[in-house]
Amino acid sequence: MIRDITLGQYYPGNSWIHQLDARVKIIWTFVYIISLFLIQDFWGYLIILATLGLIVGVSKVPPSFMLRGLKPIFLIIVFTFTINMFMTKGTPLIEIGFLTITREGFRNALFMGTRLVLLIIGSSLLTLVTKPINLTDGIEKLLSPGQKIGIPAHELAMMMTIALRFIPTLLEETDKIMKAQMARGADFESGNIMKRAKSLIPLLVPLFISAFRIAQDLAMAMEARCYRGGSHRTRMNGIKLKKKDAVALAFTAIYLFAVILQGQGIYKMLL
Amino acid sequence: MRNTKFLIQAAIIAAVYAVLTIVLMPFSYGVMQVRVSEALTVLPFFTPAAIPGLFVGCLVSNMLGPYGLMDMVFGSGATLIAAVCSYCLRKRPLLVPLPPVVANGVIIGSMLYFAYEVPLPLYACMLWVAAGELIACYGLGYPLLRMLQKYKKIFELH
Repeated sequence: MIRDITLGQYYPGNSWIHQLDARVKIIWTFVYIISLFLIQDFWGYLIILATLGLIVGVSKVPPSFMLRGLKPIFLIIVFTFTINMFMTKGTPLIEIGFLTITREGFRNALFMGTRLVLLIIGSSLLTLVTKPINLTDGIEKLLSPGQKIGIPAHELAMMMTIALRFIPTLLEETDKIMKAQMARGADFESGNIMKRAKSLIPLLVPLFISAFRIAQDLAMAMEARCYRGGSHRTRMNGIKLKKKDAVALAFTAIYLFAVILQGQGIYKMLL
Repeated sequence: MRNTKFLIQAAIIAAVYAVLTIVLMPFSYGVMQVRVSEALTVLPFFTPAAIPGLFVGCLVSNMLGPYGLMDMVFGSGATLIAAVCSYCLRKRPLLVPLPPVVANGVIIGSMLYFAYEVPLPLYACMLWVAAGELIACYGLGYPLLRMLQKYKKIFELH
């Protein structure tokens, strides 16, 4: 049953976007999310859509992958759209029985709905074009200045790396335990939500015991190799900012500047 | 960080959290999130390694999940705050599953309201998220805590 699971969102590729340093992609995603909230009208979305389109085009990730992230929040999008459309007061546009769609309501619904869709697509783009392990390295490097104030950047990255390494092992273990418990008559699939949650206890306890056994072996192996962590460690493949990363950062700065100008209504003044 | 064993224990807790989130995917990333892995938020009762463990577990799960950076920042932040509070409440087992309900309700509820602009009152968004957490933390987390008390020894760092 566990064999059908897709692990992660990463879409393998060798595009210019895929090759960028993970730090640059994290920074871009933060800037992108902030920019969505600086926009005041539909003209602003043109800048965002053009940028997003360019990035998606260069990354060669199929649009269907982009839209996949929207599936779980489809209901929220529909709900936001509908409520905004019918509940905003203003100039009536269409009347259906006792419901009235106003011009302002339609504009609001479209504006909010677009923002939500762009937010999810942009936010999930990061994990689509970056391997989890590169993302971990990027987070470590971005947090490393914080080591001076006690943020354990290296330890966090090490934990993330080990966790990623052990996910397939523990998935297999979970599968085995589930099958063993089902053979003994455990039922994981029927009943209401509370019953189904409680039925997972016979799965969790053995999983813990097995996971902690793995942890003990691993800790012993690492200690035997004198693992000390932190500044004593060197890297086989260190990450360094390259020319293309500098170009991407410059592009991010220009993008942010354009959005801020748009938010201030500068374009309207020029037009 | 105390030592290698502490680090590994935290990493393995993170891996278990991620595995449970992935195995129970349809529950874990939906609108009404009953993330069964949130039952593990009772682990700070047994070991402080669960604090970074749960934080990293949530970070890794969100890294593999469909929402990307938004969930990575807010979801993991809420889990970290909740884990620290649960650890502080470890002398009162009944209250240990409460911090994740409150932290996720407040932080993720606010995220839904302010970032996703769900057209519901802020308190309704918070209650919505807290309800899902309540099922995971008290429906499964608390019985798990009681059950794991019998196996306390596996958490000892020696």
